[in-house]
Order: sequence, then C-alpha cells, then structure tokens
Amino acid sequence: MSVLSVPPARPAPPRLAPPGLVRALWLEFKRSAMPYLLPPLAVYFYYDAIRTADGYAPVWPLRTSVVSHLVFYFSVVGGGLAAWVGAREGHRKTADLLATTPRAAWSRLSVALAGTLCWVLLAFLSFAAVLYVQTALQATWGGPPLWPVSVGAATVTMATVTGFTCGAVFPGRFTAPLIVLGLTVLFEIGFRESELVRVSPAGRAPSGNHALPSPGGVPLQVSVFHDLSYGTYALLSPLHSPPAVDAGVYYRVAPDLSIVQVMFMGGIAVALFGLLGLAAGLRAPGSAGGWPARLVAVVLVACGVAASWTGFTLAGTAQRDAVTGGWEIPALHSAASDQPVAATPDCTAAGSFQVCVAPALSFDLRAVAAELDPVAAEIAGLPGAPTRAEEVATMNGGKTVMARISGNPPVFEFTTDHVDAVDTQPDGNSDLTGWRTGFPQGLLDAFLAGPSPAAGLTPAQQAVGDALLAAVGAQPVAQVPGPLQPLSASAAAQRTEVAAAAQRFEALPAGTRHAWLATHLAALRSGKITAAQLP
Amino acid sequence: MNVDMRDTHRSFGKNRAVAGVDLQLGTGVFGLLGPNGAGKTSLLRMLATVLPPTSGEIRLLGRDPRGAAARREIRRRLGYLPQSLGYYPSFTVVEFIEYFALLKEMPSSAIPGAVAAAVERVDLGAKARAKLRTLSGGMLRRVGIAQAIVNNPDLLLLDEPTAGLDPEQRVHFRGLLRSLGGNSTVVVSTHLVEDVGTACSEVALMSAGRIVFRGTPDELTARGAGHEVGDAPLERGYSAVLAEARS
Repeated sequence: MSVLSVPPARPAPPRLAPPGLVRALWLEFKRSAMPYLLPPLAVYFYYDAIRTADGYAPVWPLRTSVVSHLVFYFSVVGGGLAAWVGAREGHRKTADLLATTPRAAWSRLSVALAGTLCWVLLAFLSFAAVLYVQTALQATWGGPPLWPVSVGAATVTMATVTGFTCGAVFPGRFTAPLIVLGLTVLFEIGFRESELVRVSPAGRAPSGNHALPSPGGVPLQVSVFHDLSYGTYALLSPLHSPPAVDAGVYYRVAPDLSIVQVMFMGGIAVALFGLLGLAAGLRAPGSAGGWPARLVAVVLVACGVAASWTGFTLAGTAQRDAVTGGWEIPALHSAASDQPVAATPDCTAAGSFQVCVAPALSFDLRAVAAELDPVAAEIAGLPGAPTRAEEVATMNGGKTVMARISGNPPVFEFTTDHVDAVDTQPDGNSDLTGWRTGFPQGLLDAFLAGPSPAAGLTPAQQAVGDALLAAVGAQPVAQVPGPLQPLSASAAAQRTEVAAAAQRFEALPAGTRHAWLATHLAALRSGKITAAQLP
Repeated sequence: MNVDMRDTHRSFGKNRAVAGVDLQLGTGVFGLLGPNGAGKTSLLRMLATVLPPTSGEIRLLGRDPRGAAARREIRRRLGYLPQSLGYYPSFTVVEFIEYFALLKEMPSSAIPGAVAAAVERVDLGAKARAKLRTLSGGMLRRVGIAQAIVNNPDLLLLDEPTAGLDPEQRVHFRGLLRSLGGNSTVVVSTHLVEDVGTACSEVALMSAGRIVFRGTPDELTARGAGHEVGDAPLERGYSAVLAEARS
C-alpha cells in the first residue's frame, strides 16, 4: 500500500472541544442519580442541621459550624455515589464499547466525575445556603464567614474524587458500600479525636462545692474546654464541636487552620484525580491518551501529594493562639487576625445602670439587662457598686476571662457565657435556670468579694449575696437543684449557718440593708464580719 | 483497503484465540461465520483496536493502530457493536447515541442530525425519548447498532447484530447493512447464516482461530453440495467446510 492510497484523515475537531465536553457533562449531570438522593438528604438536613443550628445563638461562627454536619453526610453520600458512577463501566460492561472511542479514558472518566461532583457540590452549597439564610435572618451583626463552606467544599470534593477513583480502579458491586463505610469511619475517627469535652460548672463554691479557681476574679458560668487529643489528623478533620460563642465576635477567627484543611483535602483530591488518569491508562492502554496525558497525570499526583503533605506538616505546627485561644499556624498566621474586632456595643439603660453587649449578641441584651438591673438597683450607690455592665470576650491573652468589677467608675465585666446558657447544652438540654441564677449572682459575688478577692467568698459574703438575690426574687446557685457533690458535715453546718444569716438579712427592710452595707461593706469584703454578725 | 491483517495471532495465556489470520477487506459487507470459540469475537476486538495482536500486523483504514495518533483517527471512523452491549439504563435512546457521538469526537454541530438519522435508520423514532431501562432486548440491540453507525463509520464491526431482533427487524437490518456496505467496510460476525446469505457480499468461516474458508455466499453454498448436515443450502456449506477443517 502506497502512501497515496491512505485515505485522508477526517478533519479532526479541536481537542477538548468545549461544546462536546460541555454537552457530555450535561448528559452526565442530567442522568445522575443524585436527584433521587436529595429528598432523604433534605429530610435529614432539616432534622439534623437546621434544628441544631436553630438551637444555637444566631452568631455567625457558631451557626456556620453546623456546616460540618453537611460535610459529613455529603461526603459520605457523594463518595458512595461517585464510587458507583466510577465503577459503572465495569458493572455495566460498557468498557469494550467505550474503549473503541477516540476520547481518552481519563477524559471520559473526568466528565463522569465532573457530572457527579457538580451535583454533590451544588447540593452541598444549596443546603449550606439555607443555613446561611436562616442565620442571616436572625443574626444581629456580622457577615457570613466563607471558610467553613470552603473547607466543606474541599472535603466533599476530596470524598467524591476518592469514591470515583476507587470505583474506577476497583469496579465491583461492593465498592460503593465499602466507600460509604470507609468514609464514615474516617470521619468518625477524626471527629472523635477532635471532640471537645465541655464542662460547665457554675458559680461559686460555698462549701467544697463545684468551685473553679478564680485567681483573677469570681468565676461566672465558666465553660472549660479540655483538649482530649489534638493529633494532626484531628486538626485536619473538618468535623468538630461548635466553637465558643464569642469566636469571631471580639476577635477575628484566624483562617490558618481552614487554609491548611483546604490544602490537605484539595491536595488529596488533585492527587487522586491524577491517579485516576494513570489508572485509566493502565487499565486501557489503548485509551491512555498518550504520553502528554500521562505526564499531566504524574504532575497532578506530585502536586497533590506535595500540597497535601504541606498541609499535614503545617497542621503539625499548630499552636494555641496566645491572644484569642484559637489555633494558629505560625507559617500562615497574620497578626491582623489577633486584632480585636472594632464594633460599637449595643447598650440599654434602666435608670442609671447601663448594660452593654457586643452587637453580635444584642439579641440577648434585654434578657441580660432584665437579670442584672434588679441586683444593680439593690447595691446602687454603695462603694464599688458598678454603674455599668459590659460584656467582654471569654478569652483574653490566651486565658479564660472571669467576671469581675474593675475601673473607676466601676464596671461589671461579664463574659459571653450567658449566650451559651441560653444555647442548648451538650446533653441537649437548655440551662436557662442555671443562667438566671448564676448570672446576677456573678455581679453580686464580684461586688461583695471586692477588688482583690481571696480564693472564695466568706460565709458572711455568701449570706449577704444570697439575701440580696432572694430580695430580687432570684435563687442562689447553691440552692438550685443540680448534680452537686455530697457535702461534708462541716460544710453542711456552714451552709445552714449561711442560710440562717441570709434569711435574717433578707428580712430587713431594703433601706436598712442598704444602710448596713454602706457602713459595713469594707469590713465585709475584708472578711472581718462573720455570718453570725449579720443583722 | 480498509482492513489489512497479516499473520495475526492473539493468545490468552496458552489459549490461541486467533492463529495466523490474513485478511484484506475493502468496501462491502463481509460476513464472519464460525462456531463458538472459533475466534470471531477476538478478531473483531482486534479490528476494533480494543485488543492488540500478540503478533502479526494490522493496518486499519490505512493506519497502524499501534500509534496513539493513528489509533485515535481510526476510532473516529470506526463503529463497533460488541456481542454484549453494555448500557446506562437511565439514559434515553437519543442521549445514549448522542453520548457515543460525543465520545467519537464528532463535530458538535453535526451531532443532532446524525443522532436523529441513526435513530431513524434503526426504526426507533417512536422510542427516541424512552429510557433504555424500558426497552426490550431487541430494541436495545437496535440502539447498539445506532450508536455504531452514528458517525457514519468507514469501518463498521458488528458482533451478533441480529441477536434478539424479530424477523421483520432482521429483514430491515439486512437492508441497512447493504446500504452501509456501499461505501464502508462492514464486518458482521454472526451465527445466523441466512443473514450472511442475503446481506454479505463476501464471507469467511473461522475455526480454531483460523480462516478456513473465504469466498462469496454462493461459493459457500456450493461447498455444501452432497453434504447432509444442515437444513438450508448455506448451512450445508457451512457444515461441510467445518467438517473438512476438523478432519
């Protein structure tokens, strides 16, 4: 056969002609099984994410932490669906037929992957948008943070690409269920490792009760976060417990960890996509797409591994931020993240006592003022009595902030735990009662303990505090039913003595109480007055 | 010459599926007959560039399919219907055919017309929007034929194309084959000798990986003279040649 007898080649369309690929993508998108999975996902979304978010205070960082719920089930469902689609050439027995088409196997598989990924991402972003709209309608300050969605999108993409690649490489009927199971286990391990245990004992400890050390003041409904284990994997896990309520309210939430998570997840996704190209070439050498495709695949694998490894290494250098208490990655950290958020507090004043909260928490202002105003009125005009209550961050300089009275004129500084109290507790129950008693009591404790408090209140101080609380219709924390430790005999006797003194003091006319306090406040604060000496 | 195979072998382990086949084909309909395991499907898969030969030379449409660029060009001009058609049940008839037209890198503007024409040629116009999961076996076979011819191929390879078709559709299909063979090379592998007799201009009979007969259907019929196995003349020729090859 001479060269002249070779039939002329048909004019080849431009490689990767967009219209053709776009149309193929549309066919994949149109015939995806994802729409059939959306109704059950929507039901689960409502009962899980929406209701969980509804239980949280309408503060952006807190509410958007619920995106991690979406990440979990969209990753698992997306990974499983992608595994099924990736394996379809095997279990539908179309491999031979497809191998006779000029389109490279990697290109063909990429279109199928893109069709699935588009659906999964679109659904994830739509559901996340519902959460964001719900928050936008209720939040009083701030804007939507984009990092949770970015991390979520990267994770969902990673899971989808993982599922698809596994399906394409191991096209068995059990690949998809195994991927679902594997992803569930991986996410659960990550979540368990990063889980925070929240302990929220409250108030003072009159007699060996559940007191917290209070070197800088009197603790008020303090929530303590213990890190069980913060391995690198746990830091990279997108699933985590909700952040502190004031995250992003007083200080910016540093994006360090989110950047590393996106880098890690994105790196895995890119590497696996490259691996898909190499595997497609190995499974169907005649459809490998030539050495340029293999080269691109190798480069993608190398870049993905490098990005992922860099993310993993950077996560290993994470340390607690000295200012905000959040996580910072030294190589990525910007000092600007530690700067306080500039925002004018929202204030309300009943008489001469003013109560201020951060604008993000102004939805809670009336409740806070309603609890503080009566107590403030009881001590108004006394030496050291605050004329103003101001909400402050729970973390300052890396340390937990305690409620206290400071400054001149005196200002009662309280932390944002009042929002946590309204919020659903880890056991699923609200702690409104604890908050309503502990919160005004914090003001009284700080007032009665004075500027340099000892380890705890004296029995006389406790009795006065209890009496003033009772006078405004509140119940002292010590009398609130709860999981208190058994009292020793001496502690029980002391409590009886405190209760008796409190009853005596409460029985006095308000004017008499006020006058007595004006005269004896200094002695009471210094511990020179015993419970028995109270009128 | 659209197909040029010289001393082509293909083995799977110790099993020699194709053992030294020489085959040159121009335009026309070429029937490939043979018993089960004769090597017909392996031969067709080599022609479809799915299976590389263990040894020997193949040139398709004037090109060596071992080169990536040449293989790509061959595949653009190739139509293939495998013995067992895999399909995606959620796709409609039109979408499935369009999907293959896209994979065959047809110009986007030509695809809608080509798909419509292919659907009409296999008489599936009434089912064009039906999902594949709702079609009968015979209709699915016609969908397979439609995807094979959508790019108006220069080399069309059909493995058992009439399996599952009703008699009316088989008659219709034979007419389609004749029209396609006018300017393309059509290779039809089949067990049904009547398809070969009416639609093929030339026929080959394979046994144990070799071509043991090549000629026109009339020549094959003539080989059956005096042979008693078989109901139709062509079947008697088929049986006679096979018996001779095995003896």
